[in-house]
Formats: sequence, structure tokens, C-alpha cells
Amino acid sequence: MTTRASSSRKGGANRGAAIDTSDAIPLRYGDDPYVWACWLYYEDGMTQGEIADAMGVSRATVNSYLAEAREKGIVQISLEPARLASLTIAQELKRHFGLTDCLVVPSDDNARPLIDRLGVAAAQALPKLLKSGDTLAVAWGRTVLSVGEHADIASLQDMTVVQATGGTTATFSYTPELCAAAIAQSVSARCVNITAPAIVKSSAMREMLLDEPLLQEQFETLARANRVLFGISSLRPNSTIHTSGFFESVSLQHYLAAGAVGVVAGRFIDERGRPVAGPLDDRTIGISLDMLRRIETRILVAGGFDKVPALLAALRGGYANVLITDAATGHGILRADGVTGLDGRLSQKPRVTQAPSSYRTHVKKFLNNPNQVVEEMLDGVVRAHAGYLQPINGSNRALVARNGPRPGKVGLVIGGGTGHEPCFLGYVGKGLADAVAVGNIFSSPPPDPIVQCAAAASGGEGVLFVYGNYAGDVMNFEMAAEIAEEKGIKVRTVLTTDDIASSPVEDREGRRGVAGNFFIFKIAGAACDRGLPLEACEAVTRKANLRTYTVGVALEPCSMPQTRRHNFEIGPDDMEIGMGIHGEPGVTRERIKSSDEITDSIMDNIFKEMKAASGDRVAVLINSFGGTPMMELYILFRRVAQRLEAKNIRIEANWIGHYCTSLDMVGASISILHLDQELTELLHHPCETAFLRIS
Amino acid sequence: MSENAVRRLIAMFEAISAAVETEKDHLSELDGAIGDADHGTTMSLGFLAVKAELAKIDVDGAQPADVMATAAGAFLNAVGASTGPLYATAFRRAAQALAGANELDLGTTAAMIDAIGSGIRERGKGQRGDKTMLDAWLPAADAAGAALTDNKASTEFWSEVVAAAEAGANATRSMVAAKGRAARVRERSLGHVDPGAASAVVVLRAMASVLS
Repeated sequence: MTTRASSSRKGGANRGAAIDTSDAIPLRYGDDPYVWACWLYYEDGMTQGEIADAMGVSRATVNSYLAEAREKGIVQISLEPARLASLTIAQELKRHFGLTDCLVVPSDDNARPLIDRLGVAAAQALPKLLKSGDTLAVAWGRTVLSVGEHADIASLQDMTVVQATGGTTATFSYTPELCAAAIAQSVSARCVNITAPAIVKSSAMREMLLDEPLLQEQFETLARANRVLFGISSLRPNSTIHTSGFFESVSLQHYLAAGAVGVVAGRFIDERGRPVAGPLDDRTIGISLDMLRRIETRILVAGGFDKVPALLAALRGGYANVLITDAATGHGILRADGVTGLDGRLSQKPRVTQAPSSYRTHVKKFLNNPNQVVEEMLDGVVRAHAGYLQPINGSNRALVARNGPRPGKVGLVIGGGTGHEPCFLGYVGKGLADAVAVGNIFSSPPPDPIVQCAAAASGGEGVLFVYGNYAGDVMNFEMAAEIAEEKGIKVRTVLTTDDIASSPVEDREGRRGVAGNFFIFKIAGAACDRGLPLEACEAVTRKANLRTYTVGVALEPCSMPQTRRHNFEIGPDDMEIGMGIHGEPGVTRERIKSSDEITDSIMDNIFKEMKAASGDRVAVLINSFGGTPMMELYILFRRVAQRLEAKNIRIEANWIGHYCTSLDMVGASISILHLDQELTELLHHPCETAFLRIS
Repeated sequence: MSENAVRRLIAMFEAISAAVETEKDHLSELDGAIGDADHGTTMSLGFLAVKAELAKIDVDGAQPADVMATAAGAFLNAVGASTGPLYATAFRRAAQALAGANELDLGTTAAMIDAIGSGIRERGKGQRGDKTMLDAWLPAADAAGAALTDNKASTEFWSEVVAAAEAGANATRSMVAAKGRAARVRERSLGHVDPGAASAVVVLRAMASVLS
């Protein structure tokens, strides 16, 4: 039988020879006609007709074997994931918005800036979109300029490029004039500029200018455009619209209030893509939205999450029929428009149809009344650590250090949500924090207990507030500071922002505060205890914050006592580098690696920012998020110490354990405090608290 | 008259609290998608505290502004988080807008809605399009102003206010969060209605049910 099958493979030589299928399956395929059919088709390259002959079945049967084999997962066709995702997204964008064409750049690496990648992609697409003799209108923006910089198309003749809007002052590199010129050069076109400002002082001025024969001629060229290339600006604070100074901010506020979400060729549109009327309309010289929409090929090149609402608006309004973007943005647009079911198609992981019967949805916890966990915990805390702290006015939500506050000393008040124990209350005591305000789980305390802390901590020389940079904490502590000031207590605030993964270095002030709090509180407490004045305490605390670098890695999510469910998910083989202490996403979610590889990637990030020289000293904190045992923390520390040693950076002091947790999250963070003489002395200053004692 | 307005405002807060109780789980679910799944609980805690505190108020001696000021204090101390200061500031501004008023005519009502919106904006330092409760409150305030200018009757006034808030809240689906914890999830916030905007709609609907 085996010979029979193998001879038939060669071009189906034994065509027509009737055989019994059940006997005909060569042994190596077991009893499975699917495997046999697939082997002949995919490996031996036979046609379905030849396979039918070889197997002695009909062609239709072969066809259904092959189809079922794919469904059953006997055969899996794999495309490189990033490419598959971008193709799927492009196809879906094209279908969903009725586009003529759509090109999606894979979001596989961030090695090159997005604007460059979009420029390259559009440059490659342009030859397919343009024909000799075309008139191409060109709007302005960073992305459009990038297209011009990357495109070089020699094959086109008799091209005209026309600037789509009036001009601007050349305070930035992507003016309408420069964009048009760059594109014109790259397609060897004649360039027609609109020789008037994009925005003039009054509508009368606009009328007068448009009456000029020269401008009329330029607008006639613009009206002949059969292609247009444009980008889009969002109205977010850091968008081109704001940074270019192109529009006055007063007018911008008007458009924002009227619901504008984006700007296309200098015109504002709302979330449905409808034009938004405003004070600049009859002072703007350039293509109108109606003119734009009448152009045959309308190529929109843009990417970035900030632009998603604007892009969605432009697509809804029909301003573009060719879209060039990146996979992440494309995916965002589809999700924003409620397209579901895409996620399943973006990866080829085998689908899990049924959860195993042992699958559990709830996490076990020691609980009495889930709504009373914070109160019950605080009752325990106050009993356990009565030697260090006590309630203020009978409330466990505001705790003051025994022997902490004293006349003439600046008071240190810390605080935040619960679920991070021993943060924050574990650091209250002589030589460290004077008082702590306690909120609900992962949730800031209200101003009242904070004010009580301020009053209790005050020794007449002012109070320093130090807490993590989270919107809720900032609002409540700010309100508390206002009230305390009204009561005659001088308050200064330092927000901790040590999580270097939470925002790029340019947005340092937007970073969140995590386990590095430990060092920052220690320095602040020591400064206060030494009797330094408020300003000096604030200054050295700021310095400590600036020199503290933390990166966390989460392996498993945490679960809330009220729900006993995970409050986010991490895949079975994944980890998230840079995750915050409430489960906020970090830099990357990737497959879990060896401990040393993880440590190295964290330390590389820290070294990138910490400019430590050979011989410098640091303090190291290896902190568990709650679920990671000491054993693993020491493994992390081992590698951290090796890395520091290799750079000849000395570890002045180290702490390993649970210092700032996230309930039962599995994971850890590494914090490094880059010491100098002053910080070293303050670090060694004695303190007595429940979780940190230095004598 | 004053007594009437005070009673109506108290009834309004009772209606808000009842509506929030009904929607509590739904709001927490919305929050679970982009935040820490506690928005329903937080709103419920806040308005239950407001209701309890208003039960103690001297209805005959109080002014409408007192109701708002009491609500502000109660909400703030019950909640914390970010919702606390936002609504507390909102009600405090509303109390200022109601200062001296004895009646709740549409002019006063529009001023109150406007004050709530601007209070939230000041405290949260946000704007429209940030995917927050402002995306419901600010359009609602605009609609109230417009309805007032057009001399709309009370029923129409409120239906336009609520419709504007609903449209605003729905629009947050296509926004990327710029404020609060949801801002940390960046693009993952796309496609989800902001829980704060959704709860603003719940609050406004309850206000309409009593005041229209």
C-alpha cells in the first residue's frame, strides 16, 4: 500500500485506479485521512485533483478534508504576527470606513520614530496613488513633511503640487510652504504656493486678498487638484496645533467648547466629522472642507494614540479615502468606533473554547466583612504598633507618631490609599513621618484626616506633605493644604515621581510615585528630625525624589478584597515591565524571561537615567508587590549587586522585603537611590518606626 | 418658597442617591475596564453620606445654598479618591451660585448646573475631550444656558440638558483618557465609555426627575 501511494504522488500517474480508501491510507498517516490529504497538499505540493486520485476520493472530499484540517488545527498557517496584525487592521479599516485603500505599518518596534515610519510608508505608497499629470494638493504638518523627506519618485511627469492652505511664519520646520516644496521636489512637480497667510486679521482682509488675480489663479490650481495629501492634528495640549502657535489659544478654546476634536487642513471638525464653526472661519485662507471632500483621491497620513479621536472624526466625515497609519493607531480607531472581535483575529493563538473545570474565578482571602477590611486592618495596626503610632482624635484614618512631633520641628505628613502596606503607616515614628492619612483601598484619603494629620504634626515650623503623584491624592492633599493654611499651618508639598517607567523623562513630573517612596520619606523624615527649616526640608526631599529610580515588574495581578477577583489580567506566559502599584500598565508586556534577564532590563532602564559614576554610592530597595517571596527577591538582589559592582558603584545600604505592596500582586520592584554626601547622612539618621529602624 | 426650594433640593439628592444605588454595579463595571472598578462604590458612598447629612438639616431655617454646602462637605469626607474633591468642589460652587436665592427657577437651575461643571473643571484642571465627567457636565451646562436663552419650559429644558449629557458621555467612547488613572492605560481606554461621564448622566437624569 505504501508503494502504491508513493508512486501515485508523482504527478498522479495512476489516475483512475480505483482503490478502497480505508485500505489506502499509508501507515505513517495513522488512520487519519486529514493528515494524509494535508501532507500531499502542503508538503508534496500536489493539486487537489491529484490528491483525489491518490486517495481515491472525490475532489470535493479532498477540499473538505483540507478545510476541516485547518478548522481542527491539524494545519496551522502562520504569518509573522506583526504583519498579520497590520494586514488584518488595514483590511478592517478599509471595510469599516469604505476606504479605497489603506496601508498599516506594523507596530513591531519603536526603534524609529513613528513619524519617520509613516513617512517611509507613505513614500512607498505614493507611486501607486499618483499618476503623471496629476495635481496634488498638499497640507502641512510634521507627518506630511516626513513624507516629502522620504519620497523620491522619478517616474512621474507633468505633475503639479499645490499648497492647500496659506502660509505661516517659519518658526517651525513643517510650514505649508516647506511641506509643499518637499513633496514637489520628491515627485518632480511644479510647485504652486498660496502666497497669502493662512490666517489673516479680518474677514475683510481675506475678501480683499482672495480678490487678487494672483491668488485667484492659485486657487484655480487648487480647485483642479485630483489628489490631496494631508495629516491631521488633534486638539490635545501637546499637539501641533498648540505647539506651532498657528492658532490663537483664545480661538482654540472656542472650538474646543464647540466640540472640535481635530483639525484638517486648518479647519476644525467635531467627533462626527462635521465642520465646527468659529471665529477663524472667515479669516482662514486655504482649502475648504467641501473642496477637500470633492477631491478624487484623499490621502490621510497620521498616527499616534492622541490622534485617534481626530482620525476617527476625519474618517467618519469622509475626508479621507486612503489612510496610511500604524497598527496601534489603526486598532485604536476601530476600537473607538466599537468594532469588536478584532482582537481574536490579530493573533493566531489556538482558541480556548472551554475553561477547564478546575478554573476558579475567586481568590481566597482572610476576610470577615469585605466592606470593613480597611477598618479591621487599622484596628490591627493600631494594636500591633501602639509603640510607634496612635490615632488622632480617636480616628484610625489619621495616625500620629508617638514622640514624633515636637515644637520647632517641621512636621512630615504622608499618606495615600491602603493595599500598599507597610506603606504608608509603617513609616510613621520618631525620625521619620510624624503622621499618616489613610484612605480606602487604592484610593486617596479625603482632606479631613489629612488636615488632622497636619495639625497633629505641626510644631509651629510648618508641615511637609510627601505623597505619590496620583490625581486623587493630589486633589485631596491640595484641598487639605488650603484648609491647613487657613488654620495658620504653613504647608509645602513634594510629590513623589520615582516610577521611571510610567512616563518618558521629558514628562518627569507626570510620573507616579511607587516603592521609591521608602527612600524619599526616609530622607524627608531625617531632614525634619534634624530641625532643618521647611524650605530646606522641601529642597532635600525634592532632591531625593529626583535621585530615586524605580521600575516594577508584575507577574500576576492583584485581587480586591471586595470582589476577590483580579483587577486586571496578565497572560499565563507574560509579565509586564514597568507596572505600577495599582496595576497601571508599564512599558512593555512580554513573555516572561529569566530573573537575570528581567533584572538586566530594569537596570538598563535605570542606568539610562541615573548618571552614576564609578565610585558613586547608592541605596537599593528590592520590594515585593505582595505575592513574591523573599527567595526570589534575593535572586533579584544578587543580579542588581552584580550589575552595580561591574560599574564600581558601591551599595551603601540595602533593603529587601515587602516595603510598598499592591495587595497580593506577584511581582517586584527595584528602587535605587543615587546618594550624595547629604543624602547619605540623612539616610543613616536614626529612626524608629514599625517597618524601618535605624539606630 | 425658600422652604419649597430646600425640600426640592433635598428630594433631588435623595433621587440621585437612589439612582446611583441602582446603577452602582454597572458603573463599577465600566470603571473595571479602564480603572480600578470602584466608581460605583465611590459614588454610592458619597451620595449615601449626602443623604444622611441632609436628613439632619433644619428644613425650615435653611436656604438652598445651605443644602449644597452640606452636600459638598458630606460628599468630600465620605469619599476621598478623585471623585470626592471633584463633586465636593462642584457642590461648593453650586452653593455659591445659589447664594441668596430662595427659589429654584430655571435661571437659578442653569446657574447651578453651570457651577457644578466649572467646579469640576477647576478642581480637576481638565477640559472637554479628556474623557472625564466633564464631557457630560460641560455640554449639559451649555444646553441649560441655551434652553434658558430660548425660554424653554421646564420639561424641555431638562430633556435638552439630559440629552446633551448623554451625547457627551457617549462621545467619550472614542476618546483617549487624558486625566486620572485611566490616562495610564492610554489607548486601552478607547471604546469604553468613561465611568465618570456615565455617572454624571445618572446624576443629571435623577435631577431632571425631581426638578422638571
